[in-house]
Amino acid sequence: MASVTARLGRPQPGRYRMNLWRLEWLRLRRTPRALTLAAVFVFFGLLQPLLTKYQSQIFRHVGNGVRISFPAATPAQGVGGYIGELSGTGLIVVVVVAAGAFTFDSRHGLATFLRTRVTGLWRLVAPRFTVNAAAAALAYVLGALAAWYETALLIGAPDAGGMLAGMLCAAVYLAYAVAVTAFAAGIVRGTLAAVGIALAILFLLPVAGVYHPVSKWLPSTLTNAPVDLLRGTHQLSYYLPAFAVTVVAIAAALTVAVLRLRAREI
Amino acid sequence: MPNDLLAAGAVGSGRLPPGLLPALVPLLVLIVALDVYCLIDLARAKSVRHMPKFVWAIVILFVSAPIGALIYLFVGRDRSREPGPARVGKGAAGREPGPARVGEEAAGPAGVGEDAAGPAGVGEDAAGREPGGDGAAGARGLAGPPRDGPTVAVERQPPQMSPGRRPPPGTSPGGRSPGGRPPIITTSGLTRDYGGAGLFDVDLMVPQGAIYGLVGPNGAGKTTLLSLLSGTRRPDRGTIAMSIRRNQLAVCPDVPEFDGWLTAAEVVDLARSLVAPAAGAPEVAAALATAGLADSAGRRVAGFSRGMLQRLGLACALIGGPELLILDEPTSALDPAGRAEMLSLVAAMRGRRTVIFSSHILADVQRIADQVGILRDGRLLYQGATKELIDTYLEPSWLVRIAGDARPVAAALTAEPWVTRVEPAGTDSLRVDAAGIEAGERGIPAVIAGCGARQVSCEPVAADLESAFLALTGADSLGARWPA
Repeated sequence: MASVTARLGRPQPGRYRMNLWRLEWLRLRRTPRALTLAAVFVFFGLLQPLLTKYQSQIFRHVGNGVRISFPAATPAQGVGGYIGELSGTGLIVVVVVAAGAFTFDSRHGLATFLRTRVTGLWRLVAPRFTVNAAAAALAYVLGALAAWYETALLIGAPDAGGMLAGMLCAAVYLAYAVAVTAFAAGIVRGTLAAVGIALAILFLLPVAGVYHPVSKWLPSTLTNAPVDLLRGTHQLSYYLPAFAVTVVAIAAALTVAVLRLRAREI
Repeated sequence: MPNDLLAAGAVGSGRLPPGLLPALVPLLVLIVALDVYCLIDLARAKSVRHMPKFVWAIVILFVSAPIGALIYLFVGRDRSREPGPARVGKGAAGREPGPARVGEEAAGPAGVGEDAAGPAGVGEDAAGREPGGDGAAGARGLAGPPRDGPTVAVERQPPQMSPGRRPPPGTSPGGRSPGGRPPIITTSGLTRDYGGAGLFDVDLMVPQGAIYGLVGPNGAGKTTLLSLLSGTRRPDRGTIAMSIRRNQLAVCPDVPEFDGWLTAAEVVDLARSLVAPAAGAPEVAAALATAGLADSAGRRVAGFSRGMLQRLGLACALIGGPELLILDEPTSALDPAGRAEMLSLVAAMRGRRTVIFSSHILADVQRIADQVGILRDGRLLYQGATKELIDTYLEPSWLVRIAGDARPVAAALTAEPWVTRVEPAGTDSLRVDAAGIEAGERGIPAVIAGCGARQVSCEPVAADLESAFLALTGADSLGARWPA
């Protein structure tokens, strides 16, 4: 017994002990989740400005001598390539990573372990949402910093204020994506099904933006904010309605998720 | 992709465009860092999945970077690896912990020794002894004088497949549980209908401190009943009354599952943080040691066998000292030694906490359960003392050896009202079935003495829960011996 206690370690000041928040941190750290998030965003952050800068040469190289002339790249275009990846590959990675955490009901034994011990489902959902949203935002910021560096080096320095405001908007949108994933996990048990539903919502909802009066209010508007802010097309205040709707949508998605999870039997 | 860029921008002219090199460096650093990370991880790994290590090294190095590294991370990495070599339990890898640890723990307050059946007395001599001192003499006194001690009035009934809302045989009226102790959990008309299957009108009554075995064939509704009790499912109708708070109830499913990248100690510590935040590392260590996982505390759960997962599930259930433990098939994945350990552990809890466990291994139930509930087709056919069930639904038998001619003794026994059957078993032996144990134990020697014959021996023929269960449920030919 003594040896086991020694191996576990007695409670010491500053020593971490397990709780649901640390569980999520370990989920990111001990599985490829954190590494994948960071690697994907940083990779595209480093790559996209390069592709933007040298797109003419690349097309000439791969196009069997067909010459396509592009206008000189702007800093907004350099960062815009990265933003484009955020709403595609980056979004998929964020949803997949979050779905793995939210679909604890897909494993009956794990669901029994957690559900028979927590006093409320919010205790399970809150750390999963917070940690995954923070990780996604951090990965996005790392990628944005990489894109900023590359763009400044190759094309020209983007506006710092626009970049920072864009990061804020994108971080809020990624939190919305994580909340939508929680909502999907409240509807279905399986990880793959939750990923499918979440991505369907995230990819199809922007279609409503073709109706112009609505587009300003859609959360997906925030994905374009970094580029528009750099171009100076809009000011940050333009995105306040979308910002407010997104925050409300996050709260609503999490509430529905908790209610659905509470109603579910295992 | 960097190759394309170099080719596009630089190869034609023989030199890199201005600014490209510093722009490429971070991308190359990222890719190389990922490859190096994977190679170091591969070198440190004790095992990898799907392919030998050298093949993975080739994949990482020569499959287009960083795709090879990513394939390794997601496909080849062994997630059951320990977080650090210093935390690996010596000699614990892949081995079931030995029985001594649990045996030590089991010999605690309840006084259960190596043989769990010892103090409880259940199963050693099912035909003749009291189970666990519960005083549940039950229907033994049907044809003979009652023994001293409390008696639960149980009417002998034929097996009933549809008892409806009537309390099942063995349940005493008036809100006291069959064992005479106050109930820790009672249900009334508990019903969960899955379109014909499920659970119907179950009136369960579990005495405080009892080991309650829930038995029944596959699909009888055992898991449904346990799920309703643990709150993970809701009944269509009926009520569940508990004399404890919800957080004093712990559940261990038949196939416990945990996040594979946690160590066993972390899993139990997580359970501690949820149910007993005030407890500390010593309690976690004690729970692991009790479950026989002390040597595997630092191992990641992904490498655990199913038996070890069941032990870990039990360790999680024990943390915080719950009043009521619900164990679904706790021995289903254990080898014989592990099963004996688990049963000893559960038996040792008698009196200190209440345990409801389901099992299809009737010998296990008979060995440790002082109370038993039999489910079939979603209905509770019987609940009460295990011993009482055996006595009630399985007529006791004795093999009697007589010095000399056994025929006069056979004739005399046949004339006795409490004798249900007498069969010759050789020239000097008789098999005698009686209506009750008391009657047989007192009556057989008296009849032999009355005939002036000399008795060489009188041995009870083993009666066990399995036979009683089959008799009660009419599951096979054994049931044909008893009138329906």
